[in-house]
Amino acid sequence: MRTKKLIPALAVLAVALPLAACSSGSGGDSADGGTVNWWTWDEKQAVSYKECIAGFEEENPGVTVNISQFGVDDYFTKLTAGFVAGNAPDAFQNSVQFFDAYAKQGQLEPLDGYIADSGYDLGVFNVGVKNWQYTDGKQYALPLDWAGSAIYFNEDMVTAAGYTADDIASMTWNPEDGGTFDDIATHLTIDENGVRGDEPGFDGTKVATYGVGNLGTEDYVGQTTWNPFVSTTGWRLGEPAAWATEFRYDDPDFVKSMEWVRSLSDRGIAPKLGEFTVGDTEQLGSGKVAMSSGGSWSATTFAQLPGVNVGIAPTVLGPDGTTRAMMSNSNGNEIWAGSKNKENAWKWISYMGTEDCQTKAALQSGSFFPSIPGAMDAVAADQLAKGVDLSVFVDAAKNGCIYPAYPSANGSEMGTTIQPLFEAYFTHERDDDVFPEMAETSKTILAG
Amino acid sequence: MLIAPALIGFVVFAVYPTLRGIYLSFTDFKVLSPPTWTGLENFQRLLGDQVFWSSLGVTVYFVVLSVVIGMSLSVVTAVVLHRLTSSTVIRGIIILPFLISGVVAATTWSWMLDSQLGIVNQLIEQLTGEPILFLGSRAWAIPSIALISVWKSMGYTAIIVFAGLQTIPPSIYEAGRIDGASELQMFRRLTLPLLRPVLAMVLVLTVIGAFQVFDIVAVTTKGGPANASNVLQMYIYDKAFGQFDFGYGATMSLALFAMLIVITFLQMRLMRASESDTN
Repeated sequence: MRTKKLIPALAVLAVALPLAACSSGSGGDSADGGTVNWWTWDEKQAVSYKECIAGFEEENPGVTVNISQFGVDDYFTKLTAGFVAGNAPDAFQNSVQFFDAYAKQGQLEPLDGYIADSGYDLGVFNVGVKNWQYTDGKQYALPLDWAGSAIYFNEDMVTAAGYTADDIASMTWNPEDGGTFDDIATHLTIDENGVRGDEPGFDGTKVATYGVGNLGTEDYVGQTTWNPFVSTTGWRLGEPAAWATEFRYDDPDFVKSMEWVRSLSDRGIAPKLGEFTVGDTEQLGSGKVAMSSGGSWSATTFAQLPGVNVGIAPTVLGPDGTTRAMMSNSNGNEIWAGSKNKENAWKWISYMGTEDCQTKAALQSGSFFPSIPGAMDAVAADQLAKGVDLSVFVDAAKNGCIYPAYPSANGSEMGTTIQPLFEAYFTHERDDDVFPEMAETSKTILAG
Repeated sequence: MLIAPALIGFVVFAVYPTLRGIYLSFTDFKVLSPPTWTGLENFQRLLGDQVFWSSLGVTVYFVVLSVVIGMSLSVVTAVVLHRLTSSTVIRGIIILPFLISGVVAATTWSWMLDSQLGIVNQLIEQLTGEPILFLGSRAWAIPSIALISVWKSMGYTAIIVFAGLQTIPPSIYEAGRIDGASELQMFRRLTLPLLRPVLAMVLVLTVIGAFQVFDIVAVTTKGGPANASNVLQMYIYDKAFGQFDFGYGATMSLALFAMLIVITFLQMRLMRASESDTN
């Protein structure tokens, strides 16, 4: 009799125990007032910011920090599950793409009160602060880093074509004929018979080396592809800039710019969409591409390409011959509204937002750019000693060539709706009629 | 009482999530706030959602290609194995691709199929002078993904068919030979009819598996170019986990579930799966 009762009891226990284990979570023990749990998706930043823990714990006796890292593919699913289960981390790295979704649903703690009470100066950051202001006017994150774009080029190919690094650094561009950028990209292109793109007999269907990588779709903002070009005309994606109600895809300057981008592939100066399945570093590294417009986060990877000398040039000068413009995104450091340890979480993220911590962390890996100018200078000097010249990015930040990638609503839906339309345009399935549709669609999504 | 662990596990991990999913399909559910009942709103939205119907068309195209090519190759491979060799090493090699992770297989294939740097295209270019945009063109995206899928799963289905072949008594083939039947006739008149219950099971499993394709698409094309390979699972995943629109995601999942039930039922009826020709 006793055994009969015991078996179902054990069975229930067998099922319930793993469930209970699931619900306790791994990183979100928020009830523990002494420990701040902080999450990131970047394995390098996870290691980097451990450099700051000793100093923080020394300044804040009794408070400890536990850093957890999860791969970016699982990160936001895990974070969302943590919000639902009530065991999300006290503070965490966030991407602007999820800012609206999390803020709208009350998962983010406004930082204004903490900033005022502690006297923290947001002026320490030269980029990224505005990226994290929500529609209610409140600040929801401290910038963790920043990123921009540049033109990476194969130095040997550029020299063989008769150009210097200065020629690449001073390329001009306009939406009508592509300026000197178009001339240089065309001359750098070589077909399988060794004929350059601007020479008679060039065969654009059999290209051995493309002058420039594909400038078409990467995302709906084109951060590392078309955006640094079209932005020099004064065009900006959002109207208004922050929390836009429409995206200006139907602007005549934008449409003309996209026509020029598409013409590069049509002429064989740039590869067609889908011609490469590998990334921009592999394209340049393989010798199939002479120049590539890429993200600042790839600078060290480009510099370390085996057998290829890679130079880094600023983005193009616009139609007026003087304007450079690129958008800069920043990841944010946020506090979970449901945390039971918000005061200590604030202490930790504000400590991370000091020049001392940013410098230590950024020097540890060299993989991200700090949003604090002093720390950025230290990283640039350190990388220069290692043979990687980041002055292009330092100068861009200091000279006002960058503007914030302002947040907008429903970023994920925007991406999956707009990107196929871009792809349809660049593969000639659609023509200019796609742009008014994109602008109209953006209004609907931004209002949703 | 002895079945309690299994029963509780079934209820907790299968029955409850299914019922909960059905409930959520009638709600607006953004995960971080409680679901709100919206009745048939999601279903009305589904009927007018062009991307859903285009994804369904893409998925059906993929299913047809991968099932037809996969089943044909599996049966031929199994029959060749059965007639020519009893080597367990060869059987092991045949099933090897099935043991490789889908993500690893898809990544490797996408490199091999790259039109500029891939080994497959280098061969094709030497033969025809023109590379093929396997994963970057509308015409080739789904056939390429179907071929990767077939490569990965063919070994598994071939081994199941092979096991089915071993249940056919050799005396039947002996009788066939005495009657003067050729190898091809024996394959058509003896092997295929006798294999029908096994083939029905394999067909049902491969159709369901093909409808649920996700990993290969997510790694190789992400649904592009211009939604040319945006299979239903990709779309559902994006709506639910990308846009936190779990209510509508559940509605689409329910629609897929209903379609699979109907298709499976039809397959079982048409192939008379529960009957065997051995009697």
